[in-house]
Amino acid sequence: MIPDIVLFIILALVAVASAVGMLFSKNAIYSALNLILNFSSVAVLYLILGAPFIALAQVTVYAGAIMVLFLFVIMLLGAERLRRSETLPYQQPVSIILAAILAVVAIYALLFRPLGIEAASVANPDFSSPAAMAEMLFNEYLLPFEVTSILLLVAMIGAIVLTRKRQRRVQR
Amino acid sequence: MSLDPSAILVILPEILLVVLAGVVLVLDLALKDEQRRLIGWVTAGGLLFVIIPLLFFFRPGDNPTLYWGGAIRVDWLSFVFKLLAFFGAAITAILAMDYEVIGKRGELYLLLIISTLGMSVMVMATDLILLYVAIETTSIPLYALAGMRTKSDKSVESGFKYLLFGAMASAIMLYGFSLLYGMTGQTNIYALAELFQQAELSSSPMLYGSAIIILVGFTFKISAAPMHFWAPDVYEGAPTPIAGFLSTSSKAAGFAVLLRVFLVAFPEYAPQWGTALAVISTVTMTIGNMIALAQKNIKRLLAYSSIAHAGYALIGVSVASVLGVTSVAYYMIAYLATNLAAFGVVAIYGRIAGSDEISSYAGMSRRSPTLALVMLVAFLSLAGMPPFGGFIAKVFVFAAAINAGLIWLAVVGVLNSIIGLYYYLTVLKVVYLHRSENDEVPLTISKSSGFALGLLVVAILLIGTVFAPWFNWAAQAALGL
Repeated sequence: MIPDIVLFIILALVAVASAVGMLFSKNAIYSALNLILNFSSVAVLYLILGAPFIALAQVTVYAGAIMVLFLFVIMLLGAERLRRSETLPYQQPVSIILAAILAVVAIYALLFRPLGIEAASVANPDFSSPAAMAEMLFNEYLLPFEVTSILLLVAMIGAIVLTRKRQRRVQR
Repeated sequence: MSLDPSAILVILPEILLVVLAGVVLVLDLALKDEQRRLIGWVTAGGLLFVIIPLLFFFRPGDNPTLYWGGAIRVDWLSFVFKLLAFFGAAITAILAMDYEVIGKRGELYLLLIISTLGMSVMVMATDLILLYVAIETTSIPLYALAGMRTKSDKSVESGFKYLLFGAMASAIMLYGFSLLYGMTGQTNIYALAELFQQAELSSSPMLYGSAIIILVGFTFKISAAPMHFWAPDVYEGAPTPIAGFLSTSSKAAGFAVLLRVFLVAFPEYAPQWGTALAVISTVTMTIGNMIALAQKNIKRLLAYSSIAHAGYALIGVSVASVLGVTSVAYYMIAYLATNLAAFGVVAIYGRIAGSDEISSYAGMSRRSPTLALVMLVAFLSLAGMPPFGGFIAKVFVFAAAINAGLIWLAVVGVLNSIIGLYYYLTVLKVVYLHRSENDEVPLTISKSSGFALGLLVVAILLIGTVFAPWFNWAAQAALGL
């Protein structure tokens, strides 16, 4: 138990620090790298909770694929060289008020549970094991899985259709 | 669960559609530019090849059956709406062949087929996960189709707007689904329905919240107020046959899902959401018709008219009775044929006249009496005049409202029909009475488009006169829900 708690505290500190670092770094690349650190530490938190599949999905999908996308966008748009744009005058007070409301609501929900939802209980050990996931995915959810494959294919084709320059074919 | 052959057989139409999509993609590579029109015929023929066995051999039995772990339900509702989606796609493929440049691109037909596949899964799905995936499979090709004329700013704007609005609406809807799952641990809507009958869940404010959020996603798909803003801009910029497809098949599939989810999962709360939908229906009809009065562009006019029609059909949903569901199904059958014909005429004439302004329709009746006649039939049917399909459809919807004691709603519907009649007749006046300097230039309609329009006119007349078979279908759809 105790090593778990120590590990949790370290990871939580890393996660919070990297999140803050992401918000405050001036350079977009540093922000992105901080975000990767944040994702990875959260992934290890999932491991501690006994959810290996979600942990690995977090690493591959968020820290891997989505971050590559972010870095590409930053690179292509040259966002790291952009000057600090002017913020809207009302942005700061509004954001502070909204953040305060969110904090109050979150604390209220946590302490008083107005909707009568109980605290999360420890999940069944094989609830999200890769084997259980796979069994569910390829039995009960086989059809949605297959439809998803078509969905991804058509999304790709759609993107190509919209972006490709069509060359006139030379008439023979 | 081992795969039994009957489960494969149930999704055979969908498998065939995937095959057809592959064939279309290969044909696009293999054919030369001048032969590419063939792809449209292949698409339409392939869809017909799917429709005919479905119609004759795969009729659902009297008892609905579940397949794929309860994720798919084969009943009359899915059967009827599936046929509508296939029919709409086949007609759209034929009309799209004449569209310059993109009508010769195989990708257009591929996207069309996959979107149809999504609709066909959508109307069968009883599992929220499958439902969501199917809705996305329907929508994503439509975003690409709407923006396919990349040279035209309007079309790009249309595709982009549709993508942004659509992604937002489905994100909100998905959030609603996730709340339902969070409350119950179930994703099957029939299982959800059983759980909601328990006392402690039924009074939960979360339930109302998630139902409202889900409704946002559905009203977007059927373009009902207040989620209708995208429709006019998207229809105006999208290629006209695609706009027709968006306003018919896509909308019909949206109604099927709305009926299934709300009537099956939340029947206990029918008074509450029925009232909400009645209000939405009133607002939708009124906004659609009022703004349509001021339109100068025929595609925008048809967009607002299609918003109004979503309002009429919502009357049938809001009464939440068997007659109500029957009337919605019938309305969608009639509306699909009618609106496809209207958009078909606009597609043909817009291509020749080079403009979608209503004023450019002056003298159309002299340039092509047949095309003007088709337009007359379609617009009168939209306005709800006998002996066309739109009349019977409206009668059933209003009858459902009166039967449920919602007389005020029927009155609002009738008043709105009168407003509708005015702007449909205004367009017909331009077509028949106004003159233009091009009066003597006859229009040539390609054989394919002529065939499609002929088919639609026959369908409109059949739906309006010999209504027993269609009504039986609709009634069975309602009973099997």
